[in-house]
Amino acid sequence: MTDLPATPIVETRGLVKRYDGELALAGIDLVIGPGEIYGLVGPNGAGKTTTMKILATLLAPTAGEALVCGIGISDDPIEVRRRIGYMPDFYGVYDDMRVWEYLDFFARCYSVPAGRRAGMIGELLEIVGLGDKRDAYVEALSRGMRQRLCLAHTLVHDPQLLILDEPASGLDPRARVDMREILRELRGMGKTILVSSHILPELAELCTSVGIIDRGRLLRSGRIEEIEQSLRATALLRIELLSDPVLAIEWLGTDHRVGDVLEVSSDGGLTRLDVPFDGSADEQAAFLRTMIEAGLVVSGFSQTTSDLEEIFLKVTGHQGNDEETAA
Amino acid sequence: MTTATISRARRLPRLREFGSSVATIMVKELRSRFRGRRAFVIITVYLAVLALIAYGVYAVVAPSARMQAQFGGGEFGTTFANASATIGQAVFTLLSLFQLLLVCFIAPAFTAGAISLEREKQTLDLLVTTPMRPGGIVVGKLLAALAFVGLMIVAAIPISALVLMYGGAAIDDIVRQQVVLLVTALGLGAIGLFWSALVKRTQAATVLTYATVLALTVGTVLVFIFWSVVSTRDSDNQFGTPRLAPEQLMWVNPAVAMIDVVANTEFSGYGPFSSIISGLQGGVSSSVVCEGDVCFTTDGGGAVPGGVKSLPVDVNGVVVNAGIDCPPNARCVEPRGGVAAVFDPQPITGHFWPRFAISFAALSLLLTLASMRLVVPAGMRFAFRRLRPAKAGVDPISSAEADK
Repeated sequence: MTDLPATPIVETRGLVKRYDGELALAGIDLVIGPGEIYGLVGPNGAGKTTTMKILATLLAPTAGEALVCGIGISDDPIEVRRRIGYMPDFYGVYDDMRVWEYLDFFARCYSVPAGRRAGMIGELLEIVGLGDKRDAYVEALSRGMRQRLCLAHTLVHDPQLLILDEPASGLDPRARVDMREILRELRGMGKTILVSSHILPELAELCTSVGIIDRGRLLRSGRIEEIEQSLRATALLRIELLSDPVLAIEWLGTDHRVGDVLEVSSDGGLTRLDVPFDGSADEQAAFLRTMIEAGLVVSGFSQTTSDLEEIFLKVTGHQGNDEETAA
Repeated sequence: MTTATISRARRLPRLREFGSSVATIMVKELRSRFRGRRAFVIITVYLAVLALIAYGVYAVVAPSARMQAQFGGGEFGTTFANASATIGQAVFTLLSLFQLLLVCFIAPAFTAGAISLEREKQTLDLLVTTPMRPGGIVVGKLLAALAFVGLMIVAAIPISALVLMYGGAAIDDIVRQQVVLLVTALGLGAIGLFWSALVKRTQAATVLTYATVLALTVGTVLVFIFWSVVSTRDSDNQFGTPRLAPEQLMWVNPAVAMIDVVANTEFSGYGPFSSIISGLQGGVSSSVVCEGDVCFTTDGGGAVPGGVKSLPVDVNGVVVNAGIDCPPNARCVEPRGGVAAVFDPQPITGHFWPRFAISFAALSLLLTLASMRLVVPAGMRFAFRRLRPAKAGVDPISSAEADK
């Protein structure tokens, strides 16, 4: 077996997860290469945590496959666990335990030899900036410190992949900056990191790749520059039609520059479609012409744009309202 | 390298891995448990209470025991050579039963939250995403709890050993007492662990655990009595011969096991605990009642023919046949007017406690195995069943080396 550098650290194919019939993941195809910092962005309930739990071997997918370092998570979960460090979105700490004991416990859990444990605990505490808290009780730490301690615990066995679920949630701005600095340091150490957030800008400057996830679907995935470029280039077109919307949507699907139709609303005979479109203003004009030539009765054609945050909100935010009612 | 050598080569590390998981959990649990003064205080109070009981029993029993030794007239018409055996026996009895009571309360308390607390405090996910297998986690939790309860039990040995000065109970009685106590702690600990793994909340797990303890100690007795009464009153049972429920019901009752141990120290099979044991074994005391010349046996044997001088009995003193006169060379008793003769059969002590130890140990094993399955995260519980061999892409040797 040759260890090709191209072997992805994380690979999922058509990952589907249902909870009691409710679809949480509707086919996620994710590829994360070695050394990447992959940011998973999406609104609450989009499927970020579910994806991460599956990769952390806490959940079995309903369908599809997930591989970590080429190992199937249901083929050999124990081996997968040796290669990942997982930080859940919600977690607690043990009572009656000192900081060094906490790390020592997890180091033992990962069968780190006794000789290496003591030195490593010191190093890890330095990395996460808790060097002076070695003998403090874990439950006495502030939230930000606990978060950093939990991050340190993911590192005890020097894993190849870190899965960090919302590591910055609930932190004040200062602590967020600290957390970001630590992640940057870990990137320098050559770790592959899968990190999630519901806020895109928080991740944008840190990540090498980003995936935008919503309603269990990976809407975009790729290098951050490409995503930013494509999101910037993407115009959201609002098309108003008087003809049959089904035919129109079918026709729109044949054009590779057109993304999935995001929203359909109809008002009498008038149908309103929100469609992402990759292309300049000229291309949009040409697109309108071909649309009319194709026999679609277009009564309105306008563009709404355009900065990263706004488009992200547009791409994912349209479900924000029913999201809340569903939850 | 063949597959067989690989699997054999991996079996030993598997065992070592299990051992190191158990040790990891135990170190963590015991470190927290012995932190501060709490553990010290608990054990001190426990020993102080036991010592107080030992002294209290001595103070109550000693005067009357001395009286009996001096003037005779023991409870069963027996005279004791000296008072100290009576004192020793009484102290041993109360210490054993009281320790059992305490263990019944304490042992489940240490495990009823073992898994559910991890769930409630959201620490379980961190634990199960480590490469430790559920077996190591569950056994580690159980042994950590047992280590503490075991320490309490073992620390109380010197108090029980006081009776060796008085007599009335021997070293093997103390060994039996220890076996019953430790097995009880193991079984009840496993019950707590099981509920803790099954139920989400610690509160519910605690309630269910103590309900189970109650069912095993009191419930089995009630069922035994009810079953016996119903089957004795069965319409095809013309003479009302006592029919007992199966004694296997009592094999899971720690109280019966301890009574069995205590009964062994009672004087030649007579005493309240011995009669409980003989009652469970079907040795209901039978008596012959006479009115004038007509005598009856109370165990359904029917009328005793007039003029019968004596009745044959078995080695346990039970009337074996009330219909005939005493055959030559048989062991017999004479019915005399009124209640002619009461024959308390001798209990067979030493019958229940080994059976209890074995069945409770088996129960613990089953519950521990069940708990292992339940600790696996709910979402993965069924995915784990089909543990397929590693794919061609994964080299088992290189991954084994990665462990080191």
